[in-house]
Amino acid sequence: MMSWFLESVWLVPLYPLVGMVAAAFWYPGIIRRTGPRPAGYINALMTFVSLVHAALALVATGGRESLSYSLPWLQVAGLDLSLPLVVSPLSLTAMVVIFGVNFLAQVYAFGYMEMDWGWARFFSLLAFFEAGMAALVLCDSLFFSYVILELLTLGTYLLVGFWFNQPLVVTGARDAFLTKRVGDLLLLMGVLAIWPLSHTWNFTELAQWAAQPQTVAYAQAHPQVLFWLGLALLAGPLGKCAQFPFHLWLDEAMEGPIPATILRNAVVVLTGSWVLVKLTPILALSPGVMGVTVGVGAATAVGAALIAIAQICVKRTLSYPVSAYLGLLFVAVGTGHPQTALLLMLTYAVAMGLPVMGAGNVIWNSITQDVRRLGGLAARRPVTLLCWLVGIAGVVAVPPLGGFWSWLQLVTDLAEQSPGLVAVVLLVNGLLTFGLVRVVCLLFGNRPQPMSQRSPELHWPFILPMTVLAGVVLHMPHLLAVTGLLPAWQQDWGVLLSLSTLSGASLAALVYLSPGIPKPVRLPVTSLQDLLAYDLYTPKIYRMTVVGLVDVVSRITDVLDRYLVDGLVNLVGVATVFGGETLKYSTSGKFQWYLLTILVGMALVVGLAVVTVGQS
Amino acid sequence: MLSVLIFGPLLAGLAVFLLRDGRQAKTLALVLAALMVVWTGVVLRRFDVMATGMQLTELVPWLPNLGLNYDLGCDGLSVSLLALNSLITWIVVYSTPATVARPRLYYGLVLWVSGGLAGAFAAQNALLFVLFYELELIPVYFLIAIWGGARKQYAALKFLLYTAVSGILLLGGILALGWLSGQADFAYEHIRATVAGLPVAVQGTLLLTLLLGFGIKTPLVPLHTWLPDAYVEASPPIAILLGGILAKLGTYGLVRFGVQLFPELWQQWSLGLALWGTAGVLFGALAAIAQKDIKRMVAYSSIGHMGYVMLGCATATPLSLVGAISQMVSHGVILAILFHLVGVIEAKVGTRELDVLNGLMNPLRGLPTVSALLVLGGMASAGIPGMMGFVAEFLVFQGSYQVFPLFTLLCVLGTGLTAVYFVILLNRTCFGKLDNRTAYYPPVWAAEKIPALVLAGLILFLGIQPRWLVQWSEQTAQNLALTTVAVAPPISELLPK
Repeated sequence: MMSWFLESVWLVPLYPLVGMVAAAFWYPGIIRRTGPRPAGYINALMTFVSLVHAALALVATGGRESLSYSLPWLQVAGLDLSLPLVVSPLSLTAMVVIFGVNFLAQVYAFGYMEMDWGWARFFSLLAFFEAGMAALVLCDSLFFSYVILELLTLGTYLLVGFWFNQPLVVTGARDAFLTKRVGDLLLLMGVLAIWPLSHTWNFTELAQWAAQPQTVAYAQAHPQVLFWLGLALLAGPLGKCAQFPFHLWLDEAMEGPIPATILRNAVVVLTGSWVLVKLTPILALSPGVMGVTVGVGAATAVGAALIAIAQICVKRTLSYPVSAYLGLLFVAVGTGHPQTALLLMLTYAVAMGLPVMGAGNVIWNSITQDVRRLGGLAARRPVTLLCWLVGIAGVVAVPPLGGFWSWLQLVTDLAEQSPGLVAVVLLVNGLLTFGLVRVVCLLFGNRPQPMSQRSPELHWPFILPMTVLAGVVLHMPHLLAVTGLLPAWQQDWGVLLSLSTLSGASLAALVYLSPGIPKPVRLPVTSLQDLLAYDLYTPKIYRMTVVGLVDVVSRITDVLDRYLVDGLVNLVGVATVFGGETLKYSTSGKFQWYLLTILVGMALVVGLAVVTVGQS
Repeated sequence: MLSVLIFGPLLAGLAVFLLRDGRQAKTLALVLAALMVVWTGVVLRRFDVMATGMQLTELVPWLPNLGLNYDLGCDGLSVSLLALNSLITWIVVYSTPATVARPRLYYGLVLWVSGGLAGAFAAQNALLFVLFYELELIPVYFLIAIWGGARKQYAALKFLLYTAVSGILLLGGILALGWLSGQADFAYEHIRATVAGLPVAVQGTLLLTLLLGFGIKTPLVPLHTWLPDAYVEASPPIAILLGGILAKLGTYGLVRFGVQLFPELWQQWSLGLALWGTAGVLFGALAAIAQKDIKRMVAYSSIGHMGYVMLGCATATPLSLVGAISQMVSHGVILAILFHLVGVIEAKVGTRELDVLNGLMNPLRGLPTVSALLVLGGMASAGIPGMMGFVAEFLVFQGSYQVFPLFTLLCVLGTGLTAVYFVILLNRTCFGKLDNRTAYYPPVWAAEKIPALVLAGLILFLGIQPRWLVQWSEQTAQNLALTTVAVAPPISELLPK
């Protein structure tokens, strides 16, 4: 019986699709009779079924070899595009996390979207994401991973654009779509370019190919080929994971509904790093690419953690830490530790949903999202505060929670290779803690402000998913220990990490809770604060470079088309008409005029004949 | 078999034209067009996808002295386009508003165009092809000039002149091809044998003539300026007819007359041809970004998409040719859904201006279903996977990359630019806040949604199950392919040494 769940696990991505299609019936028609809610309940049910199926399959694996299938999709003209699936404990764990977080996010949405009419659209998009992510973790092919990432890009566009009435939502959806599409298309270029070299897109075979001596020799002989190829492949994960310079979309995507943000910040962004981990053997063929991976990751980790501290919108304070944390994944992969990256992903995905849920709770019945105008909620909303704190503790390095162990593993790995990076990691941990604790202090500490005077704790659809998730986060170390994923204890690094967390947290508490420092807190250097608050002026940089370039070139093309190409055509037309108009006056009816033209014509012909004969 | 697809619509057109009651014209045309779709199904069933060479051939001697015979047959290329032709014709008839002026003439002309197109696609004799090619010209002129928009006369005349020039070039080129062989025979097989024996300079002149002729029809940049005017000024159903299937005569000719008849020279010129296609992709996409009229935007997108076909043809590997032929079909279907939806929006909202349109996704007072379908159509055109446009474009890219890496990558960039203008279109049209003072739009009837729903279903089905899109042309592409080899580590050639 149990093994059936394992063997039929390929069904799991299909369940959400059933829910998605079913929700279509509630699109305009049935809503008048039933209201929009049943569409949500159906989808939540399908998610729960998927969760149970995936969890039972995970139980059933119990140390077995991973299964692989191949589903034929398209064979044409010598190209065989079959969909290879691999069912391993890793992919099943990922599926359980995906469906678990998503189920909680859907229950949360029952409350958060209470007054929204668009349940069918919202839940079917969530189901689309689930199905895509579940398929991504099962599929073992670079090509199909690209396909799924591209589909999720479309999903992001629609989900961020859910409240399409608002101008900021519209631009946010646009930017999210286009930024990710740039990454996806660069990835597609890499997909096309790797084929002539490897003749396979299967990840397992690609890893074998990359390990072959001929390939290594080729990579050494043509370092530039592998460098550009690696960069193209890297661009996909960079876009999905909102790394510099593709990071702006995640910030703008915060305009979407919070339940979708829970899913995005906790899980969806990890699709990029999942593919990145799978690509590690190929990226490792080029030291230059690995260097870029580490460099971009480290720069994003530090930069985004700093930017987060300068944000005043509570949602945005939670979006930049995502980029920062994922930067560490890039550092891990770039230094050749994909296993550590996977551990970081696991502990992160479980915990990151909590602060976002907490923020949603506060936003839902407070009038503002501005952290400077909120405060003093601790007494009113103890559960939210507690869960939020658990979430933060699960993300940053707080012993003995799950996040701590993955940070510890990262530091241990890096310690042998480059102490500089260890310093970066410790710094990022401190900065992340500072930024996250800052928000908690501002929201829950101090005295209540006018905007947060009447802000009671919410009802069960908000609280239940939060507390359940907090419970899971608290049990993370136990789960890690049971599954044998718990890294070995390293006293020195453990203490250092804890110290960096402690200093970040206490500094934040000191600055934002002490009455001695005037609120809102300002840096002494205003320009620095503005630089961070305005996200390093990235929107302006985009506008001056890529966006401006496309805009100018398209205008030039249009002008060329209108006036040069079409202008020439119209000129010919006008010249013809004008010529006809002019020549029509030669038909004057005067006999002498006709005679003259005949004579002139004859003279020309005779003259021409004489000249030709004379020459010959 | 195939004659029915030609003479069926021609007779149907006549029947509609001779009807007493103009109000029944649409019903009759619709039934007859549906019968043609059914018959196409029969043809597709009889078509053996594994067979090489021409199938379902018919040969009736007509004017043997001139070399003109009624010689029909179809391979994967023809049968794909014949199927597209029947489908698009049905869509055109269905999506025409019931209140169209002079219905008998209108539906009659539409059916005649369809019959002429079927003849051109099925002809196995070059002179017969030209005959059918010219046959559709006059009906289309009237379809634009009578039922078009504000500048219909200008657009129709421009279309007429361009297409006439294209027809003359083709006629000249094909007559020369036939007569250079010494005996008057215009069968494709015969011409192909002749061409191989001609001096390169003569071949070059002839191929250039034909390329210009088909380049106008396709259209390829810079021979394209008839297209935006014609597509924009024509009524939406006629724009579907023009862009969905009529322009495919050009791409059909590129394969049939270019790749098939001039294999050696085509291969020699392939670099230039690939460059031509790539330039078209980028030019069309960039020009589309700057447009302010959604119909014009879609028209320019059409120019860009023809560039992928050109790239696939230029490369002429089996895969790229399958991709090019699939792209012809998928572009026809996707363009049809886009023009149909744009037409519905124009009819209901009363404008096509990007700066005026807003918030049509609004579920109560907007056009939610139309908006949803527009998102699907735009994304299909932008090459998002899961829809048929992606399959075709990907096969072109995968087939071309090993031969022309740089051009292929530039075309991938082109799909990115396609996404840019479709996001502009969708953001301005569907997203945003509906203006409550002006938003009193007439309801969209189910009958107006059905063509789009049918096409959307097809786009999704063939995107998820692409076997049904590519299987028809696979053998043909294998036969026509000029290159099969995959060579060398290609990126290294792009890099500075």
